[in-house]
Amino acid sequence: MKLSIINGSPRGASGNTEKLLEHFINGFSETAGNSTEKFYLIKERPDFEKLKGVFLDAEILMIAFPLYVDAMPGSVKEFFESLEPLKNKRPDLRLMFVIQNGFPETYHNRFVERYCEKLAKRLGCIYEGSICKGGCEGLTVQPPQLVEKVFSGFHNVGKSFGETGKLSPEVLSKLARPEHLTPENMKLVIPMVNNFLWDGLLNKNGAMDKKFDKPFE
Amino acid sequence: MKVLILNSGGSDSAINPIVRDLRDKLSGDGIETGELILRDMNYSPCRGCFNCWVKTPGRCVFKDDGDVLCREVLHSDYVIIASPVIMGYPSAMAKNALDRIIPLIHPYLEDIDGEVHHMKRYEKYPVMGLLLEKSGDTDDEDITIITDIFQRAALNLQSRLGFVKLTTSSVEEMANEIINN
Repeated sequence: MKLSIINGSPRGASGNTEKLLEHFINGFSETAGNSTEKFYLIKERPDFEKLKGVFLDAEILMIAFPLYVDAMPGSVKEFFESLEPLKNKRPDLRLMFVIQNGFPETYHNRFVERYCEKLAKRLGCIYEGSICKGGCEGLTVQPPQLVEKVFSGFHNVGKSFGETGKLSPEVLSKLARPEHLTPENMKLVIPMVNNFLWDGLLNKNGAMDKKFDKPFE
Repeated sequence: MKVLILNSGGSDSAINPIVRDLRDKLSGDGIETGELILRDMNYSPCRGCFNCWVKTPGRCVFKDDGDVLCREVLHSDYVIIASPVIMGYPSAMAKNALDRIIPLIHPYLEDIDGEVHHMKRYEKYPVMGLLLEKSGDTDDEDITIITDIFQRAALNLQSRLGFVKLTTSSVEEMANEIINN
């Protein structure tokens, strides 16, 4: 199988989406004969000519993006709009998505996931499914065992897809855990994110005293 | 009360006449209105650097019209995103504008009804409305998906979704939704 990947993160190769993709690709590539190619959406705007070519030529196309204001980033929507003239030109193209978000729960992704499924149908392609995962912000500051769980999860999904050519619902729902947080986990996770991730970054930037600034009041 | 319209329609869009009529109607009722024509503005897509949360809190590092978007949205009671539906979703132009108002909220997370969302940065946020212009391929399912996503987006922007209307809706109906919000 040949898998073409578009990393739709506005952070390009330096973001969390890239790290998740690397682990997915490692798992996918364990099966002999599998190969991948990867493109960065942010480098191709605003005309997306190269990516339109990828859409026309790919065997399986995976579009990955982080959740921005509960949907695809605006730049990813620009790309979707550029595909409008290519509707129904690839009835054999297998289309899949990776949607990752920075909240601790995966549930936030479920709404744009429905959009992605509809988009595949609208383009006249085969929808293979969406790999959804929350808890993907601050992968560099999260406890190593949590990060390892996310990475090995993506490795496993990649491996399973590489072997079977299908995204199994069981594998996807296992990766998506936690879909919601329990009240106990909520009490644990929220202060951890606020103190370690956000205060850590604010401190590093010497901006702690400005964190509640209201510049537009 | 102040109503702001973020107009992402083109110059010949069906959005323009209905926005004009809506503004006339609201003005007649003594409501202040404003409009930002997004195609005439200059703002980059959000690059996800989070500097607006952790380096220059509340303010984007880009020096473009993103500041205007933030200021105008914050100082409104009702913000209507008026957009054509393109490939089943409001325009990239509208989405890029929405992505650029995240400096208005705080990076800190909190528990809102059993889900994790961002905290407020300011005391008060406007109610959101959606005015959509259907395309040839827009169906009811698209409108449902858009509505569900924007309810979530409103929640994350410390707002709520007041209405979703089409350019075929009556201006009176829309004005009443705003007045009675």
